Amino acid sequence: MSLLFSQRKSHGASNTNPGHRLVMYFIRHLQQALASVGELWRMPISSLLTMAVLGVSLALPTTLHLLMKNGQQLRGSWDSAAEITLFVKEGISDSQTQKVLRRIGLYEQVNDVTYVAAEQALEEFKTLSGFGDALSYLDENPLPSVILVVPSLQYSSPEGARELLEKLQRQPEISFGKLDVTWLEKLTAIVNLLEDAALGLGVLLLLAVALVIANTIRLSILNRREEIEVLKLVGATNDFIRRPFLYTGIWYGLIGGLIAWVCVSLILWWVEGALLDLASQLGSELTLSGLNISEFLILIALSTGLGWLGAYGSVMRHVYEIEPENQL
Amino acid sequence: MIRFEEVTKIYPGGQQALNRVNFHLQPGEMAFLTGHSGAGKSTLLKLVAMMERPTSGQVFINGHNLNKITKKQVPFARRDIGMIFQNHRLLMDRSVFNNVALPLIIEGYHLSDIKRRVAGALDKVGLLSKINNMPNTLSGGELQRVGIARAIVNKPPLLLADEPTGNLDPHLSVEILKVFEDLNSVGVAVMIATHDLGLIARMKYHTFTLRQGQMIHDGLSSSDLRESEFEPVI
Repeated sequence: MSLLFSQRKSHGASNTNPGHRLVMYFIRHLQQALASVGELWRMPISSLLTMAVLGVSLALPTTLHLLMKNGQQLRGSWDSAAEITLFVKEGISDSQTQKVLRRIGLYEQVNDVTYVAAEQALEEFKTLSGFGDALSYLDENPLPSVILVVPSLQYSSPEGARELLEKLQRQPEISFGKLDVTWLEKLTAIVNLLEDAALGLGVLLLLAVALVIANTIRLSILNRREEIEVLKLVGATNDFIRRPFLYTGIWYGLIGGLIAWVCVSLILWWVEGALLDLASQLGSELTLSGLNISEFLILIALSTGLGWLGAYGSVMRHVYEIEPENQL
Repeated sequence: MIRFEEVTKIYPGGQQALNRVNFHLQPGEMAFLTGHSGAGKSTLLKLVAMMERPTSGQVFINGHNLNKITKKQVPFARRDIGMIFQNHRLLMDRSVFNNVALPLIIEGYHLSDIKRRVAGALDKVGLLSKINNMPNTLSGGELQRVGIARAIVNKPPLLLADEPTGNLDPHLSVEILKVFEDLNSVGVAVMIATHDLGLIARMKYHTFTLRQGQMIHDGLSSSDLRESEFEPVI
């Protein structure tokens, strides 16, 4: 250990047993991690305020993420938007129609097939349109038989549905098909735009978290300048000096992440009450999904990582700068 | 123990603090470094403590050329040098125990070793009873002695003291010097920078005198020094 005096021994951690040294290394890290908690505890109000700022900054992108996630689930329930209508050629017999139905139903791109016979369509039209009496004057049924096809999830996108439509139109029994995708395309474009905007906003807010932590650690380093100088004078390495600050950053991030989680849970609970109200009026079932365990862990890991990153940036700049040169 | 060979230090801006200084502090020797303010005493100590690097020339400690010590090695080299400052440089928000324990914590000693050694160092400066005090409850002389305890707690073979009695009355100064003499008697090399001539006059120790960055006197005792070498001490 001793650099200038080889005959001198320091009896402390410089135990020759490497296993023991490793254990001591972790024990010292643990000590410094706990010491930095004590450091935060010395100024509880300002520490808590900083953590609250971090929590709120992290709660925003997390809420946006949940919005997107629930939005996607909602969009999933609008699969029928990409429903394809196939018009059966005239003069096709019932048995032929059944064969076509079976064939289409076996396609892996197809989720569901419904057959609406011409007579059935006419009945529906009579009751729904209000032209019931007028229609009875017609000599023959003007409506064709129709096959309604619901594509599977992968083929419910505008491109997929269009591809499926072309395939279905090649069936000899089908005269032509129709697919209304323009509004679906618009919806997709809007959702993509919102997702991009949310992503950009999220990145900015995460950057803000790292900067807030970097600035907090910077102030804490400058406040403890005297202490850092003394530590350097009695032989502390830069690693030793910066460790408590890195741990402080990690604690800020960790607790900020937990606060964000609490905020998001509260928002969810609040919105769920309102949603229940809406659902009972609409007569349908609407549920919100919150953060699952892996998302929670990602949030915590991200916030802790940002805490470390912010602290690291500050430490690299300021701890190395402080040198006990002016006074001896 | 400490050897300077043609050491020149010019600060950025052109101020020449040391000019071709040569001297040798023997192992286990206690010596004074004198000269009035601005003569280069602090610069000389800073070069030994690796807080500054010489512009030219070489500084050796125990035969090791400090020019060859890299920036990363500096903290480890400093652990071999106990430093004592005029303003004691204790951390006022930590107890006496925690202040003295600092060098041991840095080196990763076991807590049991730390307790034993801190008690030993405080005992040596006569402050064992104040181990749990906060620094602001101690007098100036006591603070200075806590600073000495911190400097000797990891038993460095070399002690540097910069104006250790600068803020103390003559009675306390003699007390502090007694502590240095005790340490010296067990083989620790001690170098004390001071402009307190009265202090040196009473003792027969090797004295190095700097004037305007040059070593003008290198000899035993200060009795042959003319007082006119110095500006009056206020």
